[in-house]
Amino acid sequence: MSKRRRTSLATLLRRCVQVVFLLLFVGLLLAARPSPMAGAQPSPWLKSFFLIDPLILVATFLAAHAVPLAMLLALVTVAVTIVLGRVFCGWICPLGTIHAITGRLLDRWQSKRRDHWSPWQRGKYYLLIALLVMAALGVHWVCVLDPLVLLYRTSTTALLPAGQRAVEESRTAVLQDDPHVGPLHLTAVTEPVYGFLHDHIFVAPYQTFLGGGLIALLFVATLALNAYRRRFWCRYLCPLGALLGAFSWRPLLRRSVQADCCNQCDLCAMTCHGAAAAAPGDRWKPAECLGCLNCHDACAQKALDFRWDWPWRKEQGTEGVDLSKRAALGAAVSGLAALCLLRSTPGSRRLTVVQKPKVLGFLTYEPELIRPPGARPEREFLQRCTACGLCMKVCPTGGLQPALSEAGWEGLWTPRLVPQLGFCVYNCNLCGQVCPTGAIEPLTLEAKQKLRIGLAYFDTTRCLPYAYGRNCMTCEEVCPLPKKAIYTVETKVQDVDGKEVTVKQPRVDLQLCIGCGQCENVCVFRDRPAIRVASANEARNEANQTELADEGPY
Amino acid sequence: MRMHSRRDFLARSATAAGMLALGADRLLAAPSAAGGKAADMTIAKWAGFQQPTAAEIPQIAAKLTEKAIEGLGGMQRFVSKGMVVWVKPNIGWDRTPELAANTNPEVVATIVRLCFEAGAKKVKVGDNPVNPADRTYPASGIPAAVKPLGAEVVMLDKVKFKEATINGERLKKHLLYPDILDCDLVINVPIAKHHRLPEVTLCMKNYMGVIEDRKTFHQAIPECLIDLTRFMKPRLCVLDAVRVLPTNGPSGGKADYVKLKTTVAAGVDIVALDAFGAELLGRKPAEIETIVKAEQAKLGKIDYRSLALREIAVS
Repeated sequence: MSKRRRTSLATLLRRCVQVVFLLLFVGLLLAARPSPMAGAQPSPWLKSFFLIDPLILVATFLAAHAVPLAMLLALVTVAVTIVLGRVFCGWICPLGTIHAITGRLLDRWQSKRRDHWSPWQRGKYYLLIALLVMAALGVHWVCVLDPLVLLYRTSTTALLPAGQRAVEESRTAVLQDDPHVGPLHLTAVTEPVYGFLHDHIFVAPYQTFLGGGLIALLFVATLALNAYRRRFWCRYLCPLGALLGAFSWRPLLRRSVQADCCNQCDLCAMTCHGAAAAAPGDRWKPAECLGCLNCHDACAQKALDFRWDWPWRKEQGTEGVDLSKRAALGAAVSGLAALCLLRSTPGSRRLTVVQKPKVLGFLTYEPELIRPPGARPEREFLQRCTACGLCMKVCPTGGLQPALSEAGWEGLWTPRLVPQLGFCVYNCNLCGQVCPTGAIEPLTLEAKQKLRIGLAYFDTTRCLPYAYGRNCMTCEEVCPLPKKAIYTVETKVQDVDGKEVTVKQPRVDLQLCIGCGQCENVCVFRDRPAIRVASANEARNEANQTELADEGPY
Repeated sequence: MRMHSRRDFLARSATAAGMLALGADRLLAAPSAAGGKAADMTIAKWAGFQQPTAAEIPQIAAKLTEKAIEGLGGMQRFVSKGMVVWVKPNIGWDRTPELAANTNPEVVATIVRLCFEAGAKKVKVGDNPVNPADRTYPASGIPAAVKPLGAEVVMLDKVKFKEATINGERLKKHLLYPDILDCDLVINVPIAKHHRLPEVTLCMKNYMGVIEDRKTFHQAIPECLIDLTRFMKPRLCVLDAVRVLPTNGPSGGKADYVKLKTTVAAGVDIVALDAFGAELLGRKPAEIETIVKAEQAKLGKIDYRSLALREIAVS
C-alpha cells in the first residue's frame, strides 16, 4: 500500500479545467434545441467545440479544399499545442476527460497495470495517415473517429434519447398509476420535473434515432478498453490525438529530469495519462505526453520539472515516436484501398458523360436518401459532413436520422430525413445554420421553403381513395405549402356492392412539391405509408430530375 | 334587475350605433330581440367606414367579440361564479395570426377576459394542434394574448388522453382529453376556413382538437363530427370571422388568401353558426354534408335567421 500522494495545485487546476470543459460541452449539447419560432437564429456557440478541432479543419480542407472561415479558430489549438504539447487532450478534450474518469474508476478495481509506452501507440498515427489519405481523396471518414464528433454523436443519438426514454416512460407510469399516500401524490414531484425537462432539455417528445445502439456500442467499447489500458482510446486510437502529437513533437514546454536525483522508481510512469515514458527514468516522448502533470506530483525525489526550451534544442532524455516509413506507406496504401472498397458500390459509381460534366450522375440512387435542405451535392456533402449529429439534435421533429448504409458506407451516420419519424418543418431552417463545416449550407427561411429535397408519390395500391374507395386526404390537409402540393380529383369508383360512389383522390403536384414529408408522416398507414417521399427532384442533384426543364441537362 | 336594465342599455346602444353606421335597413332584417330577451345568436360586424389597417384589427376583433357576447346576454349567461372554463380556439398550425389559420388571438383574449369578469375561477386555453404544439402555440399569438389575463395555457399532453364513451352512431369510443371534459364549460372558438374534405371548417370541425388519433376521421367526417358534437354538448360557440380563409384552407400560408370580414358571430346553436360561417365563406350551407346531416341529427337549425338573431353593427 503506497502512501497517498499529495495533489498539487497544478493538478487540481487541471482537473477543474477538465470538468469545466466537460460541463461546457454538455451545456452546449443540451442548449442545441430548436427554437419554436419561425426562422430563429441559433446561437453560433453551439458548434464551438467543432470549430476548435484541428482534425476537422485539416480533414475538411483536404477533402473539400475549402473550409468555413470560423473553422480557422482551430489554428489556435494548433498554436497552443506547439507551445505546450497535447494539453488539449489532457486538459480540454471532453472525451479525454471521460476516459480519464473511467480509467480512474477502473483502476480501483484492477490496480496494477503496466503503463509504459507501447509501440502499438504508433497505431493512431498510422490510422491518421490512412484516414487523411482517404480525406484527400474525398472521404471524410476520419471524422467518424474524431473524439469531439464521436462524443457529440453518441450523446445526441444514443445517450440522451436513452435518458429521455427512461424519464418519459417512468413519468407516464407514475402519471397513470398515480401512487399517493393520503393527499401526497408522487406526481406533485414528477410532473414539475418532467415539465422542466420537456421545456428545457428534450428536443421533441419520444425522440429516438435509428441505429443509435450501434453508435453507443462504439463508444462503450472505447470506454471498456480503459480496463485494459488507461485512456486506451487516447493512447492508441484517437486520430485527433495523433494529429496533435505530430504538432507536439518538440513543444516549448518540456519535462526535464535531473538524472542525479532520479532513482528510477517509475512512479511517474505509473500515473502518466498518455503512457509517454518508454522505460523507468527519463526516456520520455513529448508527442505522447498529455500534460496532465501527474508525474510531477508523483515524483518523490523532486527530480522532475517542466521547463521552457527552444524547439531546435533536443532535450536530453526525450525521444520521438519513430514511425517507420514502411508502415506509414503501408497505412497510406491501406487508406487508398479502404477508399476503393467504400466507393465500390453502384451508388457511388459515377456515370461519365465527358462532354457534360454538370450532369454527371451515379449509377443508382437511394430513393430514401433525403438529405436535409441545403445539403450540398452528394459528393461535396460527403467531403464535408462529419456526422457530428448537430443537425439531428436541433431538428424539431426528430426526422433527421443517422444513415447506416443508405448513403453507402462512405456516408455512415450522415443525416437523412426519415419522414415517417419526423418531417421537415416548413418554418424551420436550423440544420443549415448549425452545420459546423457547411455540408448543409445555411439558407434563408424563404429560400428553404422553396427548396426541393425530394418528391412525394402515392402508392395507389394502398391509398384509401384509390384502393379502398374511401375519402381520406389526411396528407392534403397537412401539406404546409400555401398553395398545396396535393390536389384532389373527384373520381367515381364502385364500392363492394357495385354502387357508384364519388371519392376525392389526391395527387401530387410535380412542380410544387418540395418533399418535406409531412404527408408521409401523417398517412393513416403507419407500417408503410401510402404516400412517401423519395429523393427525385432534389434540388442539389441535377441528374436526379424528372421534369423536362426549360434548359434541361440533356 | 340591474342586469336586465344593463342588457337593455347595451342592446339599445348597439342598435343605435348600428343605425348610425349602416342605416336601418340591415337591422330591420333581424327579428331583433331588442324587446329585452337575449338573442340565441349574434353577428357582430364592423361597420366603420374605413377599411381598418392591420394595426386596428386587434382592437376591432376585441370589440366585435365583446359585442357579440353582450348580445347573447353577456358572459354571465354561461359562466357563473367559481366555474372552470376551457376556451377551445383553433391553434392547429404553425402560422401567424395574419394568415388566418388559427383563431384570432384578440377574440380568444376577449373571451378569457369576459369569463373572468363573469366570475370564472379558472380559464384554460388549449387545443390539440396538427403541427407540433411547441411551434403552433407561440406562432398563433394566443398564449401571449391570454397569459397576461391570467388564463392557463395548456399544451395537451399525449399521455393524458383517455378513452371516453361517445356512443354515437359512428364513434363508439375515442381518446379525449379528460381535462377538457372535466371543465364546467367549454367555449368553442373556431376560425372560419375552407377545408378540402368537409368543404368548410367551423365550429363542429373545431372539436377535432379535443381528441387524439383522429387521422381516420376523414373517412366519414360528417358522421364523426356529428357524434363528437353531440357528445360535447355545445353551449357557447364564438365564430371568429375577423379574417377568414375562403380558399387554400385549412392552413393557408399567404396573405393573399385571407379575406377580411371583420365579423364575430356567437351563439348557442352550433349548426346555425356553421351555416352562417359557410355563407360567409361563399358556400351554400345546404350543400355541405356535415351541416345538412347535423340538422337532420337535430343538433340545430341551418336557417339561422329563424332564431332569435341579433345583428350588431360595431363601429
